[in-house]
Amino acid sequence: MTVGFATGTDTREEVGTVEKTDPDQPWIVVVWNDPVNLMSYVSYVFQSYFGYTESKARTLMLEVHEQGRSAVISGTREKVEQDTVALHSYGLWATFEKAGSE
Amino acid sequence: MAKSFKSTRRGITGALEPGEARLLRALLDDVVAMLEPETAASEDPLAALVGMSGADTEVSAPGDSAVRRLLPDAVRGDDDEALAFRRLTERSLREQKMGALRASALLLETSPVTLNDEQARLLAQALNDVRLVLADRLSIESEADAERLHEIADSKDVDDVESYLALVYNFVTWLQESLVQAMLKAARLER
Repeated sequence: MTVGFATGTDTREEVGTVEKTDPDQPWIVVVWNDPVNLMSYVSYVFQSYFGYTESKARTLMLEVHEQGRSAVISGTREKVEQDTVALHSYGLWATFEKAGSE
Repeated sequence: MAKSFKSTRRGITGALEPGEARLLRALLDDVVAMLEPETAASEDPLAALVGMSGADTEVSAPGDSAVRRLLPDAVRGDDDEALAFRRLTERSLREQKMGALRASALLLETSPVTLNDEQARLLAQALNDVRLVLADRLSIESEADAERLHEIADSKDVDDVESYLALVYNFVTWLQESLVQAMLKAARLER
């Protein structure tokens, strides 16, 4: 990801991410890092589409940026398919997979 | 020079020079043209209604790398699964994107521009798609590639097609960043 211009550094909170296998939520959506999408925009998408708080959205965004990928939500297969297409409509690079397959 | 977007009581406002607005509308139209489906819509009216391309058995992953970035595989490491999913969803994704790009071109016909939340979202999506295409043409594959192009910020830095594209890319990046900052500020105020 990239920055358009200097933004303030917020403190980073610990937020548990969803990359754990839960029998009721067997599928996950993974967002991958790319050099084009703005860090602010990715945070905006996570807040706006998933309804995440500013700090959770930022934590997930930084996980994508620093680790190359982040599991951003889990759910049924139908749900993660729908979320993946929605993230593509925003231009994010997203895939879905079975939880625990990585 | 364009004015950065601001969150105001009337919505998100911004102003572009006529030449900048013309350039952006041309870019938005170019991306629409790239996204036009290569095969005719499904003849099954129900499938067409829900955007499901039940008969899109001709669809394969796009050959143009920029289009492939706009319409990426939803499944990694399984080409058959990715293709099956693409056949069910790609047409409606193309149409969603073309809708946002066309709506954005219309919004930029007036200056100053005043946007409600929905219009701001469509414009942010459309500018992102324009940047993804420009980045592909500029072969931006890493953050270092993007950094290298940041320096081209003025028309006096332009001496060939690539540096012109980089200037345009940096302008669209600046514009999208300013729009998203205004949207995030507006969302914070709503809470």
